[in-house]
Amino acid sequence: MTATPITEPQSVTTLHERLLESERLLKETDSYAGLENLELRAADPLKYESMHTKLRSMVVSAREMARRISASPGVREVGESVVAIYTPEGDAIALSTGIMVHVHTASRFIKWMIQNGYEESPGIRPGDIFANNDAFIGTVQAPDVIITIPIFHEDELIGWVAAVAHELEVGGITPGGDVALSQERYTEGLMVCAEKVGYDDELRRDYLIRLERNLRMPIYWVLDDKAKVAACLEVRKQVRELIDEVGLDYYKRATKEFIEEGRRAQLARVRQLTVPGRYRGHTFFGHVTEGKQGVLPQGNRNWLYAIPMEMEVTRQGKLSLDFDGTNSWGYHSMNCTPAGMDGGMFVTLTQHMNFDGKVNDGAWLATDMNLPLGTWTNPDKETVATATSWALLLPAFGCFQRMLSRGFLGRGYKEEVFVGQVNSPMMEMGGESQYGGDFGIALFECAAAGSGALGIKDGLDTAYVGWNPESDMGNMEIWEQDMPMVYLGRTISPNSGGFGRYRGGSGFESLWAVTNTELLIPATSEHSSRVFDNAGMCGGYPAPTVQLHHSVKDAGIEQRAAERKPLPHSIGDNPYESDIERLTDGQTKIDEGPYLAEPLQSGDLFAHSYNGGGGYGDPLERDAGSIARDVANGYVTADAAENVYGVVVESNDNTSTVNAEATQSRRRNIHDERLANALPVSEWIEQTRSRVADGDFAPEVREMYRDSMELSPRFAGEFRNFWSLPSDYEIAKRSRR
Amino acid sequence: MASYDKTEIADLIDGSMPWPSTRAIMSAHKDDDRFDKYLSILQERVPWHHPILLPIGEHLYIVQSGENRIVKCDCGHEFGSYQDNWKNQALIRVRGDRESIAEIYPGRYTCDPEWMELREFICPGCVTLLEVEAAPPGFPIVFDFLPDLEGFYEDWLGKSLPQEA
Repeated sequence: MTATPITEPQSVTTLHERLLESERLLKETDSYAGLENLELRAADPLKYESMHTKLRSMVVSAREMARRISASPGVREVGESVVAIYTPEGDAIALSTGIMVHVHTASRFIKWMIQNGYEESPGIRPGDIFANNDAFIGTVQAPDVIITIPIFHEDELIGWVAAVAHELEVGGITPGGDVALSQERYTEGLMVCAEKVGYDDELRRDYLIRLERNLRMPIYWVLDDKAKVAACLEVRKQVRELIDEVGLDYYKRATKEFIEEGRRAQLARVRQLTVPGRYRGHTFFGHVTEGKQGVLPQGNRNWLYAIPMEMEVTRQGKLSLDFDGTNSWGYHSMNCTPAGMDGGMFVTLTQHMNFDGKVNDGAWLATDMNLPLGTWTNPDKETVATATSWALLLPAFGCFQRMLSRGFLGRGYKEEVFVGQVNSPMMEMGGESQYGGDFGIALFECAAAGSGALGIKDGLDTAYVGWNPESDMGNMEIWEQDMPMVYLGRTISPNSGGFGRYRGGSGFESLWAVTNTELLIPATSEHSSRVFDNAGMCGGYPAPTVQLHHSVKDAGIEQRAAERKPLPHSIGDNPYESDIERLTDGQTKIDEGPYLAEPLQSGDLFAHSYNGGGGYGDPLERDAGSIARDVANGYVTADAAENVYGVVVESNDNTSTVNAEATQSRRRNIHDERLANALPVSEWIEQTRSRVADGDFAPEVREMYRDSMELSPRFAGEFRNFWSLPSDYEIAKRSRR
Repeated sequence: MASYDKTEIADLIDGSMPWPSTRAIMSAHKDDDRFDKYLSILQERVPWHHPILLPIGEHLYIVQSGENRIVKCDCGHEFGSYQDNWKNQALIRVRGDRESIAEIYPGRYTCDPEWMELREFICPGCVTLLEVEAAPPGFPIVFDFLPDLEGFYEDWLGKSLPQEA
């Protein structure tokens, strides 16, 4: 059939006017582009679906091609990239696999250029290449560099294609991509702010010179940009061929129908999988930096973030997320922008709701978020740092997954119940490489954490992160090519999955020997201190995600190896004394908070751990046999099996078996201990009230409450009401002098 | 549209279905008759007769009890109106010092009790651990879920809320 052209009013001649018209139509008609019917879908579903499949095939294959141009192990090995096609107004139509979180951030970037008069200056012409890594324009953090090019058909701009890669080095105050020590925009590294970086399908030479002169390891960003341009050009070519095949009117209308179908599918999924009502949850994050080397005066403190969240599902199926009550942005690198929050929402929806139809911006259009101005979710100042925004973003959207899961549980879709994603502790480094020159890299093996448990099974071990559903940690040998360290081991961390009837997936830990360098500067981020930044569900416990760093100067590894003494290969399974302490000659230093300590050099040791996920259900209900298997495989220690699960496992060299009698007795004991140590909640509230009334908390806890109460009258009211405090109860501001 | 036998649904929600079959269900379009079968399975398993309106946890249900809609554990313990937080009627064990936290999270796995405590909500009837909260001392107990039951049944399921026989 002939597609009914989407007619625009005579007055709509510029991209900016088209964008305004698109927004007007959505607002007034409550449907994308004002589409009442999915006309092409109804008339010839095969042709319609075929076109969507072709678009999706284009972006998937372009991403794979780009991975092979890139020099970055982050992109080549781990797949830290994504490619997507957009409407002229910047709405995503089809996207590849990979870091799908950036599909909507690129949408923000395109819309920003349109809104800011780029048609006039610097102009949007065939062959132009634009780049952005400014989170306030449209990305999550500085290392997420987006390249986009317009697609023209004759003289008409008929869409965009964008490609994103996470850069492993951005030239910030500390090496790597997620610049741990940045406290303001000015220390985050090289910023490209919606810049025209090329024309005639080529990157500008002066832009490449800027990259080469401002990055510790320019080969990553430069070749990634070339890979992304190649991907965009390939998709542009194929889109033009597709338009030749189906006709321009069909292409324009079908792509809008895809988005409207995605929007409708999202609403339908909410109604199919959840229950209307009000859902609540919370998570917390601790950031300990007071007195650390390099911290600037305004950020020289410790931070405790509260992230209380509310999700409302309306009878219409509209899903809204509210961050009212969370804390202010700060002079650290963990702030986020609305673009980043959009990305978190989008990538979560694609995994839980919008996965079996047209995955595109339609899902996002069917949702809403309240991001209170001045909080870390929506800073009221565009100079704040966002270099490690995942630190707060990931726990928040893990909480979102638990709230959604409460709905899935209600409906009986227990196979979809998911305790959620956890943080991805980053390991960045720089200094002098094993080859002699300067280097900088993000060791991206964090792209494979443990997942939260499901409602019917254990979480995935070392195989999931929320921001890239195609998780991969990369081979050790590949990482060893790019850093002056060799692995002594990469090991499942026992007891790292939250305990539960179904346990959270296990995280892992790496232990390295520093080699062939006089200067190695590690910098870590996105791991919580003092509080667990995740939760369990339905009786499951949170995963122990307070991560510490073990380092040893002059560990004597070579000497020990020559003497054939045992070497450490992991932190080990003794929670009170690590293998590193036991099996090295030097003094083991244990740091909390981001590792911003003394540089390392050849002969030293360093360990870094990745998170497991939260558990589901009462641990006493866990099948005893599965615990014996966990003990045999090193996922759970025999001590934890007995203390938490009440399962007594006896192991010899080859087997682990359950002592049924001892298990029965131990489980009975845990049952009795629960009763002996518990009291009615009403009594606990009564006992605790005076402590709250006195504000008898650690300084960081007091500051967290003060800040939340100041920002949110609702939080303050509910806090006072819960503890029966007078209406004038408040917590005084902590003096910084 | 997909549809499964009650025995299959029972195996699925119990986690006892073989993974290939589970995976096939996860990858397929959802079965729209799931809720009715789910409720039927759960209702047959509990030793009481109040109609289950909505499961809200592993052992917790909102049920119709006479004129009231209350939260009830499968052991029979009742937590009061579903419009109030059931946790307020539970037993709580707070792990707020290093020793008690170390029973679950020993040594380097611990959180700092000055910054975070663990709250275990326990059923007074069967002593099952129903929920665990990890929160800073003083953080109000969270009310996880307040469903819009009328909207769910009447608008979404297209039927009236079940009444007690």
